[in-house]
Amino acid sequence: MRIDKHPVLHFEKGRKVQFYFDGRPMTGHEGEAVTAALHANGVMVLSHSLKRRHPRGLFCAIGKCASCMMRVDGQDNVRTCILPLREGMRIETQEGKGRLK
Amino acid sequence: MKYDAIIIGGGIIGASIAYNLTKQGMRSVAVFEKNYISSGSTGRCGGGIRQQWASPENCKLAVKSVHLFEKLDQELGFDTEYYQGGYLLLAFTDEEVEQFRKNVVMQQGAGVPVRLIGVDEVAAKFPFLDTSDLKAAAHCRTDGHINPMLVNQAYADAAKRNGADIHLFTEVVRIVRDRDRINSVITADVRTFETGVLINAGGGFSAEVAAMAGITIPTRPQRHEILITEPLEKFMDPMVIDFHHHIYFRQTKHGSVVMGYGDPHEPYTHNIQGSLEFLKTMSLMITKVVPAMKKVKIVRQWAGLYNMSPDAQPILGKVPGVSNYYQAVGFSGHGLMLAPAVAELMAELIVTGRTSMDISDLSIDRFAGRTEFKLEKAVV
Repeated sequence: MRIDKHPVLHFEKGRKVQFYFDGRPMTGHEGEAVTAALHANGVMVLSHSLKRRHPRGLFCAIGKCASCMMRVDGQDNVRTCILPLREGMRIETQEGKGRLK
Repeated sequence: MKYDAIIIGGGIIGASIAYNLTKQGMRSVAVFEKNYISSGSTGRCGGGIRQQWASPENCKLAVKSVHLFEKLDQELGFDTEYYQGGYLLLAFTDEEVEQFRKNVVMQQGAGVPVRLIGVDEVAAKFPFLDTSDLKAAAHCRTDGHINPMLVNQAYADAAKRNGADIHLFTEVVRIVRDRDRINSVITADVRTFETGVLINAGGGFSAEVAAMAGITIPTRPQRHEILITEPLEKFMDPMVIDFHHHIYFRQTKHGSVVMGYGDPHEPYTHNIQGSLEFLKTMSLMITKVVPAMKKVKIVRQWAGLYNMSPDAQPILGKVPGVSNYYQAVGFSGHGLMLAPAVAELMAELIVTGRTSMDISDLSIDRFAGRTEFKLEKAVV
């Protein structure tokens, strides 16, 4: 899912880059939010709630909640909705509360 | 309305004294709290429980407290998140190591299972710490931490079950005293309650409570700031205190890390605003000690009052010239951890006139005619 044309907003797109989601290679545009690239590749479940393990998708989209926290290049609890995509990034689904690292 | 005992303050000290008075057979006990349970210092504190103190009196009281904490959940029927994960005191200078060495001998004599451990052992057991500048550490395995709000509520609920009245959002604005006896208190909503004895458990406002009874006590409020991080998977058992960087930190059951920094230059006021300066200093200090904290997000910050006494030790018992006034004040930042023991002994003093452990060293008489005091140094 990706909005290419918008009546008001203009999207500048970076070059196409490859990244990895749970080990799978995917492509997105450099500089767009990691969650935007994931959505464009059909990935809607970003994390799971801590108590009941219910799936969590994009919620606030401005870095204020914890729905999009994922492991990025080995670092836990990264808010992927405000993280610009870079080439070769390794995005992983994070289970649990995140480790101190 | 008449009570046998009125306690001013619904924090951990007031609630635990109320419970112990009812437990020791006092019929009508009331707590007057101007806000709600844990609204003051208790609900804002770090939650540490430590037996490693610089004076034998504090050690003995803390040891008694830990024995009571160990049975408390069962006794009060409440999960207070009490956790004996140990307590680690860090030494960064030779002077600190020397002081710790002396303290450990004294503390072991007071029954504290504490030992001095070397840097290699610290590094192996607590890999989250940066040990490059560390000289040694003192570790006590039966120390730990607790959820302050839950244990405060547990005591208040238990006191209530035993028949105590807990008056929330009820501020005492006047204490009526006739010569050497306190007769009654008057609340902000203009009700009068007569009382047999009055107990000052006013925390950060203990001096103001005493003043209403015409009593002057040498306690002063001092802001201490604190913050909490996002929850993390459990990575640390002990609470850690570092007198060199003036910080302490612990990981809660939920996984968040609670940490505080004690500013040595903080003035004595009732200010409990959070400051940007604290966020900066706290971040600098914690990342020196736990470098991986650099990547951890802060969720919120707040502040509370230490009720400082001249020697940073509590002031317990009666005062000269007033027959039915008691106080448990001036805890100087360690009231929560001493509460179970202090409350039991205060209740004994009030009900029987005697205590099963001598606490006369902690009475206000120790300040009479003196201007310099032996300070309890093990405080952040």
